[in-house]
Amino acid sequence: MISGYLDGLGMVLQLSTLLAIAGGTLLGIVMGSLPGLTSAMAIALLLPVTFGMPPVAGIGMLLGALCGAGASGSIPAILLNIPGTPSSVATTFDGFPMAQKGEAGRALGLAIVASFFGGVASMVILSLLAPPIAEFALRFGPAEYFSLSIFGLVIIASVAGKSLIKGLIAGIIGFFISTIGTDPITGVDRFTFNELSLLTGVNLLPALIGLFAVAQVLKDTFEYDPSERMQESTHRIDIARPRFIETLRHWKAVVIGVVSGSVVGPIPGAGGSIASLVAYDQTRRFSRTPEKFGKGHASGIVSVESANNALLGGALIPTLALGIPGEAATAVLLGGLMIQGITPGPLLFADQSGTVYGIFLAYLMANIFMLLIMCLGIKLFIRVLMVPRKQLLAAILVFCFIGVYGVDGDVFNLYLMLGFGVLGYFLNRYNFGTAPVILGLILGPIAEANLRRGLQSFQGDWTPFFTRPISVAFLVVAFGLLALTLWQNYRSNQQRTPADEGSA
Amino acid sequence: MERDIGKPLFNLFLLIASASAFVAASALPNIEIPGDLSAAFFPKLLSGLVFILAIPCLIKDLQEWRRAGSEGSKAAAVNPVRGIAQWCFAIVLLVAYIYAFERLGYIASTALFTFFCVMGLALISGAWSTLSAAQKGLSLLFALVFSVVLAGAIFYVFTDLFQIPLPT
Repeated sequence: MISGYLDGLGMVLQLSTLLAIAGGTLLGIVMGSLPGLTSAMAIALLLPVTFGMPPVAGIGMLLGALCGAGASGSIPAILLNIPGTPSSVATTFDGFPMAQKGEAGRALGLAIVASFFGGVASMVILSLLAPPIAEFALRFGPAEYFSLSIFGLVIIASVAGKSLIKGLIAGIIGFFISTIGTDPITGVDRFTFNELSLLTGVNLLPALIGLFAVAQVLKDTFEYDPSERMQESTHRIDIARPRFIETLRHWKAVVIGVVSGSVVGPIPGAGGSIASLVAYDQTRRFSRTPEKFGKGHASGIVSVESANNALLGGALIPTLALGIPGEAATAVLLGGLMIQGITPGPLLFADQSGTVYGIFLAYLMANIFMLLIMCLGIKLFIRVLMVPRKQLLAAILVFCFIGVYGVDGDVFNLYLMLGFGVLGYFLNRYNFGTAPVILGLILGPIAEANLRRGLQSFQGDWTPFFTRPISVAFLVVAFGLLALTLWQNYRSNQQRTPADEGSA
Repeated sequence: MERDIGKPLFNLFLLIASASAFVAASALPNIEIPGDLSAAFFPKLLSGLVFILAIPCLIKDLQEWRRAGSEGSKAAAVNPVRGIAQWCFAIVLLVAYIYAFERLGYIASTALFTFFCVMGLALISGAWSTLSAAQKGLSLLFALVFSVVLAGAIFYVFTDLFQIPLPT
């Protein structure tokens, strides 16, 4: 482990890597500050920039963007009562009231330091938990990998969409799209329509950028209303002083936030808003002064913001150790790892431990840069809120184009990106969600390859998939949770129907 | 409840697309390898599953649509005609941008795309009609400068800093 950390430190402590992490963090902060633009979109836009970089620098840049976006969602939440990201919804509960009391600088200072503490603590948890999980996963064979892929797909599909069935449909659509291309075992061309660019399958980058960036821009274009200008914040802040001592005084809130983020993070599909709401609720429950919450109480801001950034470390555990992402942003990050030639999973820890520990340290550096950049550049990030929307939309689309075209100079990928953008727009609009599609695209080939490899090695016998303990455990948990969600939906529908009849 | 015919229509699209995919998958060549599944197994299974799962979604969304019609639908948050016009404009512009990307080169196509995107959205959204003659002139100039500067700056960053070749 120590030699792994030393190798990783050597990779991180290079000027180009540090600049990449700082650049990613800056972009993440800018994107997170703008309501409606997501952290998944930030890293999807950065993916093409990372191609020419060494793996740790490229992944460090993406982690910086995630870390920055996770923290900066608090800026509009505190100043304008508008959460920059879904996970900063709970920041508005106490952040905005504190700003209304004339203490916007204090609220931002607390939010920044709490995000930093949350991020650093989750990095420690990540580096402690991910290696043993990966070591355990070394026992996995084709049957276990097939079941694990189905587990990841079923779990995220059942929670990512607003309805269980719609989430599953989205996941299956992604899985189906992953079958396009030449079948690796029989050599049969599947749905390639004589298009050379499709022979090797659907390129992941146009899919990621289309589903997470173009789809969002199309939604913003549909909703574009020039009369809805962002109201300028009346708070004048030149620099946000980090509130280390005050944040540490609320150490219980930090601990609750870190625990909430680290526990919720690895659960596929649970997401940041759940972690922050759980943290807020638990901090209020354990507080001696629960009546102060919602009126600008520091503990409320500290718990939510530490949970937001602790979530990322938690979500990275299954992403790196098993290749199963925790939510949309880590699904895009997983795509980024694969594009970088890094296959997440147990073998990554065994074969490239330096890279893995380099990624852990890059995440730590991203948190340090986040703290510095947020404190020094707060005035600039408040101005970012006022960027004219139509210019921003045009600029994002240009970035999407360059990114996709820059990979291999294939115009077909631009049409593919647009197609995924349109598909993603409708999937989001009608509550199917886009995260399950990406999961299907990533996990589909793993599931298919391992099922077929397993069947070949078991001479066509299916029973080992249902008798090997780890394999059957994944399948039972996945389908058990699926059945539970179906049952809960059925029960809530049953309860709603008599209520509707009563009110009619 | 907002009455949106798009929901059932999208489910209908999923039904038709999954049925077509199932038929196309059934036509894939069947090369048998002992102990292995055919290349068509997963495409057939997945398209079949989408078809089956889309049926209850279609029924539920149709019921909601009919219920919203009888109860009187809530006004949409966004002006739908303007929203659709802006959306269609963006799609047409994106297709034109892709078409022009290699033919006109990166800088010309990007500057044109950015200019038309900014001006088109201003026109369709109605923002343009609220401006005075002087403001219109200034807005036009700003859109021109923004388009050229954005195209040039991105070209420099990607070709010189990131060494990503772009068509010229």
